[in-house]
Amino acid sequence: MFGIALIAFAGFAALCLAMPKHFETLLGRTPGPGQPQLLRVTGWLMLLVSLALAVQSRGWAHGLVEWTAVVMAGVTLWVFALPYLPRLLVGMAAVSALLGPLLVLSAG
Amino acid sequence: MKEGFRQAMAWLHTWTGLLFGWLLFAIFLTGTLSYFKEEITHWMQPEISRHAASPQAALEAAQRYLQRQAPASQSWFIRLPNEREAGVKVGYRDANGGPRGFVTQTLDAKTGEPVTARDSRGGEFFYRFHFQLQMPYPYGRWLSTFCALIMLLGLVTGIITHKKLFKEFFTFRPGKGQRSWLDGHNAIGVLVLPFHLMISYSSLVLFMYLVMPAGLMAHYGDDTSKYFNDLFGGGEAPKAAQVAAPLAPLPGLYAQVQALQPGARVGNIRVENPGDSNARVTFTQSAADHVAYRRSANWTFDGATGALLEQGKPESGAMLTAFSFAGLHMGNFAGPWLRWLYFCFGLAGTAVIGTGLVMWLDKRQLKHAKAPRVPRELRLVEVLNIVSMSGLLLAVASFFWANRLLPVALEARADWEVNAFFITWGLALAHAIARSGRRAWGEQLALGALAFMLLPLLNALTTAHGLDHAIIDGDWSMAGFDLTALGCGVFLAWLASKKLRPAVASAKLSRSRASQVGHETAQAR
Repeated sequence: MFGIALIAFAGFAALCLAMPKHFETLLGRTPGPGQPQLLRVTGWLMLLVSLALAVQSRGWAHGLVEWTAVVMAGVTLWVFALPYLPRLLVGMAAVSALLGPLLVLSAG
Repeated sequence: MKEGFRQAMAWLHTWTGLLFGWLLFAIFLTGTLSYFKEEITHWMQPEISRHAASPQAALEAAQRYLQRQAPASQSWFIRLPNEREAGVKVGYRDANGGPRGFVTQTLDAKTGEPVTARDSRGGEFFYRFHFQLQMPYPYGRWLSTFCALIMLLGLVTGIITHKKLFKEFFTFRPGKGQRSWLDGHNAIGVLVLPFHLMISYSSLVLFMYLVMPAGLMAHYGDDTSKYFNDLFGGGEAPKAAQVAAPLAPLPGLYAQVQALQPGARVGNIRVENPGDSNARVTFTQSAADHVAYRRSANWTFDGATGALLEQGKPESGAMLTAFSFAGLHMGNFAGPWLRWLYFCFGLAGTAVIGTGLVMWLDKRQLKHAKAPRVPRELRLVEVLNIVSMSGLLLAVASFFWANRLLPVALEARADWEVNAFFITWGLALAHAIARSGRRAWGEQLALGALAFMLLPLLNALTTAHGLDHAIIDGDWSMAGFDLTALGCGVFLAWLASKKLRPAVASAKLSRSRASQVGHETAQAR
């Protein structure tokens, strides 16, 4: 479930960066043409994939509940830590995007 | 027209939030603590130690004990130890003993001998307070269910009032006075919204038989127990035949349950007419086994012959929906990490209510910042805010302190722990009235910080289960309690330091805050 949580976390981070206002404050430059669109699609896709993985590995009842819980926890952490530790969080999101799928694959 | 609607919703949000916020804060905080009900009870009754014992052995010990102590009792109750509960709990009806003719006892899971633990309600106190509010049946349940309705209303009106829900989805701007409070209130409300909606709606489902009884009464009249028997199965046992017949060994019946439902964990076991030829034994599956709280998952045996008589019927769609909401609300199925998240989301709900109350007052106090006196109604709100939040935290802390400090032999000891809770709450009220708002906040928070931070030390001094021992023993519910108390104390100390900052700095802050709010209102116009 931890790998799934990381994928969802990275997904929400992508959705946040898809908003030009947040992209600028977090990365210090304006997003290139098409970048917000790409981030938005990627973010939603990661959320959907993590949901599918959760349901597949834990069944509908536990999968839905646990997915909702980790998504809420992840996005709350993101929003409230962002003003204090922006660089760390962007780094964590990047690591999550890589580590999440690896953990899911290694869990089989 | 649209603005008119939004303003009406904002008005509703503001005023129902204020009137019910104080009570809702207490309901949410105690409800949040109830997610760790068993762990709190473990901390409050450290005499009951944890052993790895097989369910069969525990069941055998329970049967042996009850046969010896209460052979003539009309009914027995047994609860097996599990991951979260250390002891074997037994109970039996006895017209001459115990409160309301019911005697309970905890047995050691390894030896099967009774354990004398200090008299305490433990986590059960918070759990009961959470929906009964220390009021007689059914008024407390009615009031708390009504509060749940108000919470649901607050969530819906809050969402309608929140103008930039999606634009500010990821926004939190700290260090900017009222702006930060509003950001925080909105962000915790929106980001944890699925939990908030689930918890308030499911409260209504849990008590629907109380708050919407028309359909039930039309079919069953006053005989509500018949309704529950029809719904959950395992109905009334037949009268005792007055023919002696030895009770079948319970471990054998347990094995039958395992054969019918491999891997099922058993919650409660009820024995009616033990030792009679009309004995009935009902096993109920543990609520930890399903997300839905399936009260109808049970098996009833003939206690004399050991034959299976009845098992829970499959639930209808409507029942399963209701059971799912109940199960999601109580979170019995949650393992350690999910339980912690439940706890955090409960705190988030508490924080939404708390920030709302603080903002209501802040906004209005600002208008009177230059006036020589604050209007009386604002002072009333201020006192109630302080008592309902920091006062309640002090009351919780004193409940735990009383548990460690009251003599074990004290008469009605468990009641005195509860008294300590309410006496402290009352003292907090007196203190809040006597001191100015800022001082009262600061002093109560500082005292709360101290009380919670010293709890681990108190535990280590008064029992042999201090942090050092608990960690070595791997007793993580004991150690987790101490560490959580420590964390809570640090958080309260941080809050207190904000309130007790020198007056100059805070005056400067409130000036800059005032100018900023003025700026914002100008923008809004």
